[in-house]
Amino acid sequence: MGSVKRKSIENPIEGYDTPAEKQQKRGNELLNLDEPVACVHDVSYPEGYVPRASTSNLPDKDAKPAKEFPFTLDPFQAEAIKCLKNGESVLVSAHTSAGKTVVALYAIAMSLQNKQRVIYTSPIKALSNQKYREFKEELSDVGLMTGDVTIDPNASCLVMTTEIWRSMQYKGSEVTREVAWVIFDEVHYMRDRERGVVWEESIVMAPKNSRFVFLSATVPNAKEFADWVAKVHQQPCHIVYTDYRPTPLQHYFFPSGGNGLYLVVDEKGKFRENSFQKALNALVPPGEGDKKRENGKWQKGLFVGKAGEDSDIFKMVKMIIQRQYDPVICFSFSKRECEFLAMQMAKMDLNNEDEKVNIETIFWSAMDMLSEDDKKLPQVSNMLPLLKRGIGVHHSGLLPILKEVIEILFQEGLIKCLFATETFSIGLNMPAKTVVFTNVRKFDGDKFRWISSGEYIQMSGRAGRRGIDERGICILMVDEKLEPSTAKLMVKGSADSLNSAFHLSYNMLLNQIRSEDGDPVNLLRNSFYQFQVDQAIPDLVKQAKSLEEERDSIILEEEDSLENYYSLLQQFKSLKKDVRDIVLSPKYCLPFLQPGRLVSIQLIKVDDNLPSFSVKDDVTLGVIINFERIKGLSEDDTNKKPEDASYTVDILTRCAVHKDEAGKRTISIVPLKDPGEPAVVSLPISQAKIDSLSSVRLVIPKDLLPVEARENTLKKVSEVLSRFAKDGLPQLDPEDDMKVQSSSYRKAVRRIEALENLFEKHEIAKSPLIEQKLKLLHTKKQLTAKIKSIKRTMRSSTALAFKDELKARKRVLRRLGYVTSDDVVELKGKVACEISSADELTLTELMFNGVLKDIKVEEMVSLLSCFVWQEKLQDAQKPRDELELLFTQLQDTARRVAKVQLECKVQIDVENFVSSFRPDIMEAVFAWAKGSKFYEIMEITQVFEGSLIRAIRRLEEVLQQLIQAAKSIGETELEAKFEDAVIKIKRDIVFAASLYL
Amino acid sequence: MRGVQLSLNKTQKLRLETALEKLESLSSTTSNNSNASVTVADTIPINYEDGVLKGHGTSEMDGRVVATICGVVERVNKLVYVRALRARYKPEIGDIIVGRVIEVAPKRWRLEINFSQDAVLMLSSMNLPDGIQRRRTAVDELNMRSIFEENDIVCAEVRGFQHDGSLYLQARSQKYRKLDRGQLLRISPYLVKRRKQHFHHLDQYGVDLILGCNGFIWVGEHVEAKDDMVVDQMIKSEQENASLSGSVSSCEQEQSHTSVEIRQHICRLANAVRVLSTLGFMVTVELIIELVDLSISHNLNIHEMLGAEFYVIVAEKEAERRSLATKKR
Repeated sequence: MGSVKRKSIENPIEGYDTPAEKQQKRGNELLNLDEPVACVHDVSYPEGYVPRASTSNLPDKDAKPAKEFPFTLDPFQAEAIKCLKNGESVLVSAHTSAGKTVVALYAIAMSLQNKQRVIYTSPIKALSNQKYREFKEELSDVGLMTGDVTIDPNASCLVMTTEIWRSMQYKGSEVTREVAWVIFDEVHYMRDRERGVVWEESIVMAPKNSRFVFLSATVPNAKEFADWVAKVHQQPCHIVYTDYRPTPLQHYFFPSGGNGLYLVVDEKGKFRENSFQKALNALVPPGEGDKKRENGKWQKGLFVGKAGEDSDIFKMVKMIIQRQYDPVICFSFSKRECEFLAMQMAKMDLNNEDEKVNIETIFWSAMDMLSEDDKKLPQVSNMLPLLKRGIGVHHSGLLPILKEVIEILFQEGLIKCLFATETFSIGLNMPAKTVVFTNVRKFDGDKFRWISSGEYIQMSGRAGRRGIDERGICILMVDEKLEPSTAKLMVKGSADSLNSAFHLSYNMLLNQIRSEDGDPVNLLRNSFYQFQVDQAIPDLVKQAKSLEEERDSIILEEEDSLENYYSLLQQFKSLKKDVRDIVLSPKYCLPFLQPGRLVSIQLIKVDDNLPSFSVKDDVTLGVIINFERIKGLSEDDTNKKPEDASYTVDILTRCAVHKDEAGKRTISIVPLKDPGEPAVVSLPISQAKIDSLSSVRLVIPKDLLPVEARENTLKKVSEVLSRFAKDGLPQLDPEDDMKVQSSSYRKAVRRIEALENLFEKHEIAKSPLIEQKLKLLHTKKQLTAKIKSIKRTMRSSTALAFKDELKARKRVLRRLGYVTSDDVVELKGKVACEISSADELTLTELMFNGVLKDIKVEEMVSLLSCFVWQEKLQDAQKPRDELELLFTQLQDTARRVAKVQLECKVQIDVENFVSSFRPDIMEAVFAWAKGSKFYEIMEITQVFEGSLIRAIRRLEEVLQQLIQAAKSIGETELEAKFEDAVIKIKRDIVFAASLYL
Repeated sequence: MRGVQLSLNKTQKLRLETALEKLESLSSTTSNNSNASVTVADTIPINYEDGVLKGHGTSEMDGRVVATICGVVERVNKLVYVRALRARYKPEIGDIIVGRVIEVAPKRWRLEINFSQDAVLMLSSMNLPDGIQRRRTAVDELNMRSIFEENDIVCAEVRGFQHDGSLYLQARSQKYRKLDRGQLLRISPYLVKRRKQHFHHLDQYGVDLILGCNGFIWVGEHVEAKDDMVVDQMIKSEQENASLSGSVSSCEQEQSHTSVEIRQHICRLANAVRVLSTLGFMVTVELIIELVDLSISHNLNIHEMLGAEFYVIVAEKEAERRSLATKKR
């Protein structure tokens, strides 16, 4: 990815190329820097669309453009603007730094020129604020609507969050009738698990006559998205795709404990294998830090530097400064890590005196809006010294105002080294020369996984300042070995594709049911999710067809009798396995696993998917060396009886050892006579590898390490074998020797005997080609099974996705009295309609149960805080008794709601649902509503300042929704109470206005 | 039969009385909350220990919850409210209403909708003919009369309340339009039940029936609406027929004549609604059609539907139907 890819400009409109062609073009890298930067242009037409013949209502092509830019447009920008001029929707997919905003600006200018409204939506409030400021500077007629603020809602150009836009559409604001262009920024947010569905709703419900501009990071399936838009809105949708980066990137590795940088991918996008290997070799094997990593702690690898020695990150930053690679952004994946790393920079000073003065002025003028008390907050006062040295921290735990100051300082170039979390990689153009990844793994909720290529692209997009740096630099701090393929995938992989994250919510259903035209089924049918499922069907059909052809091409003679034989064989095998399982169950065989006993082992075939078809198994002999119990993962394994535990047996036998390039050894067991090393393999006895135990025991030398000793032992085995060549190796008799007493064993043995007789009688068994034939039959059977499973998926996807869930959820709504049986929204439903920022059902139930009525305002606010707090807090202290009591009431209500859902067959984990309400900030919010100062409440709880502020702001949002809800049921007292609550919490630093406004 | 003056002869009177008695007895047996009806200042019995939420039509006086309007007490969990009967229309968000334009004001129309205040329909909340996206120009405002004039009948959706309690309307799609060539009927709002659908296209008669939640009922010639705003474009686009999809204004010019047959259908439907509302029965599409069919099967002329005999027949029929329904239960 990180390279500049130049492609020839395609003829627009006609360019109806398939993804395959595109791929080819992408591969075809022309690395001449002088050639113009190009893009791929494609159009999706809705089915049966006839391009407009008359262009009378279109603006004259030669007319003055709605906006002129003081610089020459990049081809992709020009291409996109051409589409806008034609009045058609466009999806622009390009890197963050490429300059997508230009397209948005043009669309806005065009609408303003035509006296039409235009809406700009972005996923994040902060981004909306920044865009508002940016647009306001260029054009005057701009308004802003977020959950926090509303400025000039009647303006022609409205900047808002996507959630607001969605609720406007549900409520039917007049804006929806006047909006000519809707701009969706960062539309790839659609794949967000929680919020992605908002984009789908907004796009599906958008006015049919408006046009769209979608701005997205690079997504490989842009065409699919455009096809969907074209289908849903019955209008052509253009795709302008470019991989272009204004500044090329170099990717370096920094092995932990090492000293230097290794160029792994150069600016031309070439992966340097040898340099990569060198980097890995320089990796100092982590010592004690290793243990910590195993335990899944977040501090992984960062403490490798021994005490007294500089930490890796310090060395790294020092080097960057020395080489003048600053400014630099260091990405890490947790807030605490971010702060911790910044603390390690204590000794560093990157700014001169002038800059320090500057910083101080900017800082204090921004902090001016805070009250005296708030200025004394530790986060505020601790931040300044750090900032003055040119070091910044940026993560969601910061006070919003601090975050903004840091952003501004960074843009001014006064911060040379910024420690940030992933959130910094989204949104406004804030590039640095260098980007450092402090980790190669990210914790995604259940495990540490490699950074995905999509994330890598997004974050590395911050490297390289257009027009300033010749190239951007990406440094990956590697603290563990990784395969070249993994590295390549991460650094050079393609962007994440845009997949639907559609899911249903009650609020969505109620809003759809409430409006006369709305029907949740229509929404589902038009969703991107359904579209993607539908797209997959032709593919499945094709697959099934080709498999069927393959199956039919296999023709066998005497198929019936062959099949008969085949099924006999299957029975025989499964019986044998049963017997073996009984005999070799630890209960019976443990006393016989002495060292020196000969065992027969099944040979593992290279091609494992084709089982052998002879009655006799291929076996070889080995000598037991030892056996041991497999240690379980959990502690309570010790309670298990020894019979139940699983064991592995170490067996000495002849093995073929292969080494692949990576140095990984693969060992396969071979017959005794074949060439190979004598080696010890350990096999779990629960697996079918060990066939049977013989009654022969050898004396084995104590020291088996020398190869000769092993060789000798194996020779002895061969000798034994030849001695018993006549009538085979004596086996341990299960019944006599091993005292196996089980009726199922005896039954199985009897049936095996009967089957063996049948085999002998079977005529086809004498056929010379029996093996091959059976193999063919087996393949055929497998194909049939595959076809069956494909057909099953096909059936399930032709049905409407989410159909069952929709039914179940409607059942819930009826059961709880939100809608009537003929889909009319009842009073409770109307209340739940209003609540979109918290769990609508639980909150509505709580309200109708009168819980909110009887308690004090502060208590109510405190209780509502459970709905908006999502972070999990370790060892948070319990709230005081009154609050605790309220919380139990909430939990009871939640449990009831969850149980009803479960009864209505909605898939839900009741306890999980109940524990999704967190009481962690109840105390703090209670104190805040009581009028405490912010620094006081920060002493009560351990949460990050920024997180708490966000929660309280969201709480205010919920309260506003509740005011509407109370209005609709006519409960004036409650309404007044909510209003009172808003007044109580809406003050001071928590609701300090954004610096961008 | 409050205040209905019908010229009944003796037998008809008797029949009607028996039918109504039967209905009354049925309703008292089926619904147990007949004692829950209250008049103004009646105390509403509640369990004070639980705590209550007092909804519309209630107030607190000397520690008691009293009704402020006449109606039926309804309870949802802890919420207690009084649902008014035979009152003015009380709008709820999302209701479909039919109203009459009484004033063209700057950027807005004022509509009479049987609410305690006039409703406001903003120009910006209105779809332009052809469904094009509006441009914000002064010309638009000057041309407002080309969309609706005074005394036009309009259907719209309740969008919400302003802070001062005034009501705002909106027209989400092309089917919210000026209504012409038909009859407007005013009945008590409580007779119109809120349902999923309030727009009905009665194909067999070529008639549109709009049951406004505010008790205004429109029966008029069917107009094929070109509907761009409906979410389900796929289905609609198939139905869409270029020749039929003219806007409201162009319709006026194209077909100025309504066939006699359709006029008769309109009248018959309208009379059915009148009969139902006089008898105090719920007005639903099914019942209206049933009545029309009944009148045809009795070979009644349109004007005869308003005659005493038909009222009696309808009342008897309804009594029979309900008693059957209760028996089944």
